[in-house]
Amino acid sequence: MNATALPGKVALRINPELLSTLNSRCKKKVIITGTNGKTTTNNLINHILHSEYDDVLSNLRGANMAQGVASAFLNDTKKEYDWGVFEVDEGSFPNIVKYLKPDYVVITNFFRDQLDRFGEIENTSKIVYEALKPLETTLILNADDPMVSKFKDLNKKNVYYGVEKSRFSTLDQRVVESRFCPVCTNSLDYEYFNYGQLGKYVCSQCGFENPEYDYKITSIKYSEDAYHFKIDNSGKIHDVIFRYDGIYNAYNCCAAIAFSIEAGLDMEKVTQRIENFEYKLGRMENIEFKNKMVKIVLVKNPIGLSEVLKSISNDQRRKSILFILNDNPADGTDVSWIWDADVEVIHNIKNLKSVHCAGIRAQDIALRLKYAEYTDKIVEIDKNIEDSIETVLAEDVDIVYILPTYTAVYQTRDIIMGHLNQTSARIPRLREIIKSKIGN
Amino acid sequence: MKINIFHMYPDLLNLYGDIGNITSLKKRCEWRGIEANIVDFSLSNERDVNDADIFFMGGGSDRGQGIVYSHFLKYKNSVSDAIEDGSVFLAICGGYQLLGESYIDADGNKIPGLGVFDYTTESEEGRLIGNVVIENNLGLKPKTIVGFENHGGRTYHSYNALGSVVVGNGNNGKDRLEGMIYKNCIGTYLHGPILPKNPHLSDHIILSALKRKYDIKELEKLDDNQEYAAHNNVLELYSDGRSKEQ
Repeated sequence: MNATALPGKVALRINPELLSTLNSRCKKKVIITGTNGKTTTNNLINHILHSEYDDVLSNLRGANMAQGVASAFLNDTKKEYDWGVFEVDEGSFPNIVKYLKPDYVVITNFFRDQLDRFGEIENTSKIVYEALKPLETTLILNADDPMVSKFKDLNKKNVYYGVEKSRFSTLDQRVVESRFCPVCTNSLDYEYFNYGQLGKYVCSQCGFENPEYDYKITSIKYSEDAYHFKIDNSGKIHDVIFRYDGIYNAYNCCAAIAFSIEAGLDMEKVTQRIENFEYKLGRMENIEFKNKMVKIVLVKNPIGLSEVLKSISNDQRRKSILFILNDNPADGTDVSWIWDADVEVIHNIKNLKSVHCAGIRAQDIALRLKYAEYTDKIVEIDKNIEDSIETVLAEDVDIVYILPTYTAVYQTRDIIMGHLNQTSARIPRLREIIKSKIGN
Repeated sequence: MKINIFHMYPDLLNLYGDIGNITSLKKRCEWRGIEANIVDFSLSNERDVNDADIFFMGGGSDRGQGIVYSHFLKYKNSVSDAIEDGSVFLAICGGYQLLGESYIDADGNKIPGLGVFDYTTESEEGRLIGNVVIENNLGLKPKTIVGFENHGGRTYHSYNALGSVVVGNGNNGKDRLEGMIYKNCIGTYLHGPILPKNPHLSDHIILSALKRKYDIKELEKLDDNQEYAAHNNVLELYSDGRSKEQ
């Protein structure tokens, strides 16, 4: 299962205070928690901080329970770090902040994810809320998620970020997790939704509404395989380009920018780093393969899957999609979430040549497609992941989208990298990656 | 032909993909040319419960179920009468518990249910989570029903069970029984969602509803290869070869 967490698990058993050591060796710390966007925001912040600092420690691969956070340290042992950047699983948050005292906490959103672990959705935010109470920290809060913005009543130093209405916003949302006021439980009125319960809301009963933004993203456009938008920091406006799909990434960028400026970095530099950011770890990766592009995007919950499909519909190229659905413990053993996802938006995807289903529960995702009445194209089912990847890579299309669940991500990446090594294919912008690793 | 499917409190009771049951009922009607009218019944959309041919009620968070309980209480008698009269009702997890007399929480507090049936659910230590395979008591072929359970409450009753447990826990993890059947009302802990991978059960529900309105004995056959491929995949993965048939 979650291989990146293993070394830390062993070490933590030997030394339960490892996290305390980690705490004292990092001069400053930021923790990122929430349901979706933790790993991307973590990687973005890490990348941005590297423009200013040499020693930044992170658990970049998304192993985010206590062991995973500790493994970051085991792979990289220095006496002192300028910054520690850690993404922390909501359930592990209370245990981790007992030892690791963050100067900043970024909270992305609370959606339905792996309920078989936490029980129910409201519990998840409560766990984080309670653990924050005794901490002295600055909160970077998603103003557009009522489940997150209600954290303002913890009376910490609060910084709010969000995304203004754009052409990607909708007036209605099929998958709405919690459209109820977290203060008085009345149902919330929405002016628009960006995704899930994220949007502009107001409670007609108690007046609970989006707090005023300190950082907001405006004028989002999609062109040339990238998202172009403006970041507005209390009237100061800058252009930003981000090469990864989806409105959810606008939120991730905004969170990373808000944190970085609060931490004292320069906006010019920050936006530059966002633009040259390269995802290297398979959760969301663009790889050039022969004369086609391969995009790997981790899917793990209904909101994520719905948004990924929506963002693919902005892409006009000839394409194939491969779903890989596993039900190992790290994926969530309950695959019912695919029925909460708005799979029906697949009908809006143009130039879709073929759809493939693989993984332990390939039959389930194929059945979901049948009930979305996706009958335009033949849906091919092959539980074997390697065979499916080979089939899809051989197809005559411009781009292949691979949407794996957690445990299939690294497997997918290894298979594709194995093929890459045998061909002339390359990772795009290889020079920039090397530059970012060794410095200019 | 036309049936009205009342989706009860979809904004409050909407856990674990249970909406897939509505999708299954709706599509399987439409594919046969039967009109399926979905009514989202909730606080802001109260409708005459006598118009329902099928009720579907899923589970929700504790808060959601609390709100539903206080609101739905006034419909208790009409729903009881409807069930007594043979209306079709599918209640899952929290919905199944809510139809009972009471729920006793971890601290021993008794939380009243609608009391349509006289069973009780007790909170016991540890959630029962995992894949489930049962053999159904409805006489449906294949015998197996597959699903996924995730509940902290244990339900004890002396009604007919929906089936006997082959894999998993079911009602309480003790008596090897899962769910309940009373006339055309089915209560169960099975998510998955239950209906898409068990098309025989989905059709049983549709046919039971149609029989009350129309002179009909059976449903037109559909191609269920994909449904049973997913069903059999669960059997292969989780039943260790037990209860395999077809």
